[in-house]
Amino acid sequence: MKKVLTSLEEAARLVQDGDLVTFGGATFHRAPMEFVRELVRQGKKELNLVDREPAMDFDLLIGAGCVAKVRTGMLAFEVFGMAPNFRKKSEKGEIVTKEGACQPIIAGFRAAAMGLPSLPVKGMLGSDLLTISEVVGSQTEIKDPFTGETMIAVRAIEPDIAVIHAQKADEYGNIRIEGPFYEDVIKAKAAKKVVVTAEELISNRDIRKMPEATTIPHFIVDAVVETPKGAYPCSCFNYYDADYDHIKAYLKAAAQDQFEQYLDNNVYRRASA
Amino acid sequence: MNAKIETPDLMIYAMALEIENFNTVLHGVSSPLPVLAMSVARKTHAPDMAYISGAEGVDPELDRIYPSSFDARLNRNAVAYFGLHEAFDLAQRGELDVMFLGAAQVDGNGNTNLSLIGDVERPKVQLPGGAASAFLMPITPKVVIWVTRHSNRVFVEEVDFVTGQGYNHRSEEHKANEIVVISNLAVMNFKNPERVMQIQHYHPGHTIEEIKENTGFDLRVAPDASETPVPTQDVLDLIAEIDRDGIRLSEFH
Repeated sequence: MKKVLTSLEEAARLVQDGDLVTFGGATFHRAPMEFVRELVRQGKKELNLVDREPAMDFDLLIGAGCVAKVRTGMLAFEVFGMAPNFRKKSEKGEIVTKEGACQPIIAGFRAAAMGLPSLPVKGMLGSDLLTISEVVGSQTEIKDPFTGETMIAVRAIEPDIAVIHAQKADEYGNIRIEGPFYEDVIKAKAAKKVVVTAEELISNRDIRKMPEATTIPHFIVDAVVETPKGAYPCSCFNYYDADYDHIKAYLKAAAQDQFEQYLDNNVYRRASA
Repeated sequence: MNAKIETPDLMIYAMALEIENFNTVLHGVSSPLPVLAMSVARKTHAPDMAYISGAEGVDPELDRIYPSSFDARLNRNAVAYFGLHEAFDLAQRGELDVMFLGAAQVDGNGNTNLSLIGDVERPKVQLPGGAASAFLMPITPKVVIWVTRHSNRVFVEEVDFVTGQGYNHRSEEHKANEIVVISNLAVMNFKNPERVMQIQHYHPGHTIEEIKENTGFDLRVAPDASETPVPTQDVLDLIAEIDRDGIRLSEFH
């Protein structure tokens, strides 16, 4: 086992401009928000983001000008409504939106995790979403060789990097996720590089006391960063709930053309005038 | 009818009635109404349903809802976690009985649009995306679409983009699967040979004429159309208790 503990700055340097990136969690839960803010601070460009149901993590990067392309099943702020920067930049043509659907995106991750070039899924037939994915080359109709059933083959999605916020990790990259997993374990296996930000570092001795709690073992993790409150304002199960007031303040800032001030105050942490 | 029953509560009860006992039911993201409907169903006529939360908990002892339908607090005292990819496996096996989905546009054939209006390359209106719609719509035995703003801008002649597949965009095999549309005015289904939308129930205080006027296509009326069943006080109390913050109203503003 090799120690992979590093700083947030160093870990974020593993992300290259133009990379295909996915994040752990779903909507307002266990998104690696502190890492996302570091990507903004480092001025990443042309990122290609993929996930089934992200929210503020994607919208923040889009609003900060870090994103070229987005592929999601749905990108919105739950009952609070649309993702403001996503909507604006998509309608202005400043980002390319290639909508997928949750199942094909998950299947794409699963294919990559299994080392397969593609994986078939049911459903999808008859949806105009297929016309988008045919153009992108991510999904196509196939016949099962045994039954003749028509299905949709989804090309493997192998992110350059998956960034996951977990509850606990040791310095070698043995990871414990508590509560809902989402597709985080699949994403970690699918990606070329894996960064884990963790609420808490625990000892390797503690990890060994309960190996069944290790959801991601060290040999697929490239960097671990101790990052308390690393999902804030999203939730981290067993540590803190989502701060819905902060999320509403974000939406208000975006709606009132004050997104730059939001970034200054919450991302760059520059004292504002 | 005595006291006026609020529209969200009427819709929640109508959605709950679409669940049968022993059904396996999943809700997705941004779904306060489905979460409340599932909670009502299992406290009333479907005590043995399998409840799979979008937050991954199975049969949680839900005591309240939150602005996010993926909030882990929705999993309170769950018996297990069952991830979305596992729920989708179940759907492919034909073992997910009921799913609730939203729509920005719906047409008379049951197609839904949650994707975009205008050009695919440069949308005039970018919508949030269909999430599981295109995957689950054709293959799930029953999909319940909920719409909180019934108007002829939402109920259109033909959707601008087919996210979820209606009956004219499905294989013969998938035409057997049911779509139910529940709006703030009516309960609609496709139980006729042509598989086109028809009014099954009109909500108390609303007329068939009013519903048809607010629909952008020729909406049929089922021969046995009747008023929407109203929830009992116990059901209303349950909804008010679980949603003490009034989150269910957020979609009606």
